[in-house]
Amino acid sequence: MGSRASTLLRDEEIEEIKKETGFSHSQITRLYSRFTSLDKGENGTLSREDFQRIPELAINPLGDRIINAFFPEGEDQVNFRGFMRTLAHFRPIEDNEKSKDQNGPEPLNSRSNKLHFAFRLYDLDKDDKISRDELLQVLRMMVGVNISDEQLGSIADRTIQEADQDGDCAISFAEFVKVLEKVDVEQKMSIRFLH
Amino acid sequence: MAKKWVKFKRDFDNFKTQCIPWEMKIKEVESHFGSSVASYFIFLRWMYGVNLVLFGLIFGLVIIPEVLMGMPYGSMPRKTVPRAEQATAMDFSVLWDFEGYIKYSALFYGYYNNQRTIGWLKYRLPMAYFMVGISVFGYSLMVVIRSMARNANESTADGDDDNFVFSWKMFTSWDYLIGNPETADNKFASITTSFKESIVDEQESNKDENIHLRRFLRVLANVLIICCLCGSGYLIYFVVKRSQTFSKMQNAGWYERNEVEIVMSLLGMFCPPLFETIATLENYHPRIGLKWQLGRIFALFLGNLYTFLLALMDDVNEKLAEEDVVKNITRWTLFGHYNSSMENSTATPPPLDPADVPRGPCWETTVGIEIVRLTVSDILVTFVTILVGDFIRACFVRFMNYCWCWDLEAGFPSYAEFDISGNVLGLVFNQGMIWMGSFYAPGLVGINVLRLLTSMYFQCWAVMSSNVPHARVFKASKSNNFYMGLLLLILFLSLLPVAYTIMSLPPSFDCGPFSGKKRMYDVIQETIELDFPLFVAKIFGYVANPGLIIPAILLMEVLKMAGILATSTYIC
Repeated sequence: MGSRASTLLRDEEIEEIKKETGFSHSQITRLYSRFTSLDKGENGTLSREDFQRIPELAINPLGDRIINAFFPEGEDQVNFRGFMRTLAHFRPIEDNEKSKDQNGPEPLNSRSNKLHFAFRLYDLDKDDKISRDELLQVLRMMVGVNISDEQLGSIADRTIQEADQDGDCAISFAEFVKVLEKVDVEQKMSIRFLH
Repeated sequence: MAKKWVKFKRDFDNFKTQCIPWEMKIKEVESHFGSSVASYFIFLRWMYGVNLVLFGLIFGLVIIPEVLMGMPYGSMPRKTVPRAEQATAMDFSVLWDFEGYIKYSALFYGYYNNQRTIGWLKYRLPMAYFMVGISVFGYSLMVVIRSMARNANESTADGDDDNFVFSWKMFTSWDYLIGNPETADNKFASITTSFKESIVDEQESNKDENIHLRRFLRVLANVLIICCLCGSGYLIYFVVKRSQTFSKMQNAGWYERNEVEIVMSLLGMFCPPLFETIATLENYHPRIGLKWQLGRIFALFLGNLYTFLLALMDDVNEKLAEEDVVKNITRWTLFGHYNSSMENSTATPPPLDPADVPRGPCWETTVGIEIVRLTVSDILVTFVTILVGDFIRACFVRFMNYCWCWDLEAGFPSYAEFDISGNVLGLVFNQGMIWMGSFYAPGLVGINVLRLLTSMYFQCWAVMSSNVPHARVFKASKSNNFYMGLLLLILFLSLLPVAYTIMSLPPSFDCGPFSGKKRMYDVIQETIELDFPLFVAKIFGYVANPGLIIPAILLMEVLKMAGILATSTYIC
């Protein structure tokens, strides 16, 4: 995979991605050109350093975790398919999609999958629960050293108290969904990809 | 093709967002000082927009036609400075009092001619003046109510739920569109502030109370404050009565002439901090304490304003009585002039120079001048207070701290905190005065637009340079409906005096667009009779019947109730 010509997308690939993610043809080609512009090593995959060059991700307190979400378990490189699979979570939900295809697999950009994506950012050890320690880590990243440890601990406790319904002192996915019930996730977690 | 259209729409939306003025300034203030201070600036910006529209209406439909198509300065008695005043008409002190050339300019009611149509466009100026006056109130009402409805919608859409306060803060507070490191720092600061706000909220709700002591202290505080309010009302009444005797005096000094404005401004400056110190007895949650403070200052300003108006009404009635006398004098003077010029030649007599014609007292212009002077002195006091109270104080604390016996920064006087309630009420009352005065002084809205513009820059600078964030940080309640409710109330209260004077007082006989009519609203009658076809006049005659109007009002009430019920079930 040396020259650029061989990394051009083939039509069958585009079709497969279209079926899996729901992006349109022109969106896929546009995102492919973005992918190649990020890929400084020109080997058809992205590494973590490539993502960290994006300023918005670099200054984001949760930036590292978002970058991690792109990479499959244990790997250090992500190809275009994986890139699109992750981005598909952020595709806006269109009105005509809501009613069709109740039998097929849930589309990647459904509300539940969006929330699952967010949940995985907080649940580092992948045990399907956000524990108090994980909350403390997130808080520490968000406010720096401006609030004392003790206060942060109380905030974490208070958060768990608000959200926890089954009394296990951790936030499960169902409880997470309940917390964000009134938040307009479909709109906030969507990127208007250009057509 | 459709793609291009979508792209164009998106670019246009982005452009529109970039056009929102002062957005970055306000965001910066918000990240340093919290959402309640920023809400004041957002309110200020909104008021600026409303005032700009009102200015456009008045300027375009009333002032410009009169200046371009009406008679020029010096051609008529009402447009000329009287002979007796011409020597001093350009003096700065006279101009500052809004007499002299300014009094006889398009800024005030008295300049406008009562000619039914002017210029080649046959523009009906008196009708336009009346309709613009009414539509100023109509537009303001519409805009305030629409804003209230939008705020009410927003707060329900975001969920009035206080159930997941901390969870939401934790999971949803970062703004993923920030790409600039400095902005990210600002966002950090604001997230920290917002966590601190929530901690304060929590602590307040968990505190233990001794109910009886608290109640007693609250009653005591309220009694003290009522005493203050009555005292200030009486003081104003006393001062206004005194100013009437001063105006009869010949050698009134600067202080005597301006005593009323000075006293009102001083009361406005010193009573709110007094209320705040008394309010520490009550020990409310900061957000509730802010509402009480606003209510009290509101009562103070309202009392002051209405006392002032009542005194002004006395003045107006006196002038009306004077008018009859002057009318006779004018007639005799003109008669005498024509007679004497007839004796010398048989040709048409030269008209009397407009500067020599004796003038009626023109109460409308007087009212306009009084309100404009009050507004200007209010503006000056506000700016000086900010300059001295915030900036000079900050300079003093910073530089004298090295050589002072106690720690200026920690103890008294320390840096000032931004006084939200004082500023919001100042803005609301300023707007009330504008609404009251715009009918009698069309130029007033222009002055206000300038004031709001400079105020925005000046206060942003002052807040960033001299203020510190509040020690007790709390979030303004999400709906800005409290400010809007105050504004609505003031709108009605300022509509009352104007409506009263329009309906029941006769216009001056020699100045303004309604001179010569029995009542100002006769201009509508006249326009319908002369400009519309005959059947329209008949229809209006029938519609104006009380038998039709009362059922119409009842029907509107019923519809309003139905609307309220419908929206409240939607919210629940």
